Amino acid sequence: MSDTASTTGPATASVAAPAEPGPVEKAAGLAAAELDATIAAIEHRLTAWAADAGAALAALSGKVTGTAVDKLIRPVVEELVQLPGGYAAGAGFIANAGLLGPERSYIAWWQGPDLEHVDALANFSPNSISRYVKAEWFRIPVETGRAHVTGPYVDFLCTDEYVLTFTHPVFTRPDGPVAGIVGIDVTVQRLERGAMAALRRIGGRATLANADGRAVVSAASDIDAGDLTAPNEPCAHYPVGRTFILWSDAVGR
Amino acid sequence: MLLTPKGASRSLAAVFTPIKSRGLVDEVCARIEQAVETGLLTSGQRLPNETELAAALGVSAVTAREALSQLRASGIIRTARGRSGGSFIADDVLPSRERALAQLHELSRLQIRDLALHYQAIAAACAGVAARRSDAADVATLRSFIPAADDDSLSWRLALSEFLLEVAAIARSARLARELIRLQADLGTLTLLPCADTGYRGRTAVILGDVAAAIEAHDPGAAETGVKALISATTDWLLTEQAKSY
Repeated sequence: MSDTASTTGPATASVAAPAEPGPVEKAAGLAAAELDATIAAIEHRLTAWAADAGAALAALSGKVTGTAVDKLIRPVVEELVQLPGGYAAGAGFIANAGLLGPERSYIAWWQGPDLEHVDALANFSPNSISRYVKAEWFRIPVETGRAHVTGPYVDFLCTDEYVLTFTHPVFTRPDGPVAGIVGIDVTVQRLERGAMAALRRIGGRATLANADGRAVVSAASDIDAGDLTAPNEPCAHYPVGRTFILWSDAVGR
Repeated sequence: MLLTPKGASRSLAAVFTPIKSRGLVDEVCARIEQAVETGLLTSGQRLPNETELAAALGVSAVTAREALSQLRASGIIRTARGRSGGSFIADDVLPSRERALAQLHELSRLQIRDLALHYQAIAAACAGVAARRSDAADVATLRSFIPAADDDSLSWRLALSEFLLEVAAIARSARLARELIRLQADLGTLTLLPCADTGYRGRTAVILGDVAAAIEAHDPGAAETGVKALISATTDWLLTEQAKSY
């Protein structure tokens, strides 16, 4: 027993004995739970917003105008982006075709503390839906009727930053077509500030990755956001939010 | 990765990206011109009035009015008086060969060469990182931007700029992507000229295929060489054409 401990070191020993987590594993578990809570809070806020927006749009009973949408969405965006310690760099609503007109979308999206109106010129175009239908953050929640996280990717449309976009479909009737999407942009930079301390408590190579294994934030200096990574087995795997994964030890691919 | 060449595009997105070095009036004009060029606003379409335009773009009514008047002077919009009046996108506003030629002859050979060097440096940096970071979906999207040989010169030009922006997107560097968008704005409609030449289209189609293959094979050296060759092909064509005016 003592031979094994001296040759394999503490990390391997801890994986070999999962039944009774030691203090190191407990601390790592707590740190991972902290990160999970951060991402889950963003996802839950978005779900609640989608429900509120759907109910409010339904209450307009077919008389949906750009002005009415702005009035509905802007106060929430203001609250989200100005929240002290909040994660939203920008947020808003994009109408699916049909809500305001057959080919027409409508974008009510603002970013930054000064609430800069994003892509507003597109609202004057009668075929503005073409700008959004192929974008992953719009297309997937509309097609699947489910929440989606896009990225990390360079967001050319809004922030021109490296971001994650959380989007959620909005329904005006439970069985109806998707009326639009609500979404929140979270910059990787902002997430890094919130996540690094927790990652370092888990390990020097702990890495938060998206569902494709692309690093979002890593404690390792040779893994950058955007790099493809893989778990360095054996290591601990923690789910973070609906789609992310946290590995206690990762390597570049 | 997210937007495809037809329909929504990154060039469209670039339309709404602030170009801080220009004056506000020029910036408003540039956005509207690019919205026209990329098909978001079409001939005959009514533009918002200056109050609406000002509110949408977050500029003062004075700036919006000046921009509209500048667009009118350059023939991008026409204004009709009366009850059904307002500002409309003019007919035949798409970038023309004449305008591109005028722009080419305004530039010195030194300016063209220097702009190309800068463009090559940024695009090669993007290509190198993209080759390291690409996945299968990235490569599929990149290949979807390679235009067909019989596409017209306008869509060919758009596809070329979208292709390089996609390379920047695969590199996943916000700074490099922003710089690339700025450089493409500086090049303006110039790149329309070689796109009308079938010889140039044939040469660049081969290079685009090579770049996509290098990014797929995770070969940064070949990807960098490829995008540099792509930009050289454009610059050489432009310099040859420009020399004819002397």
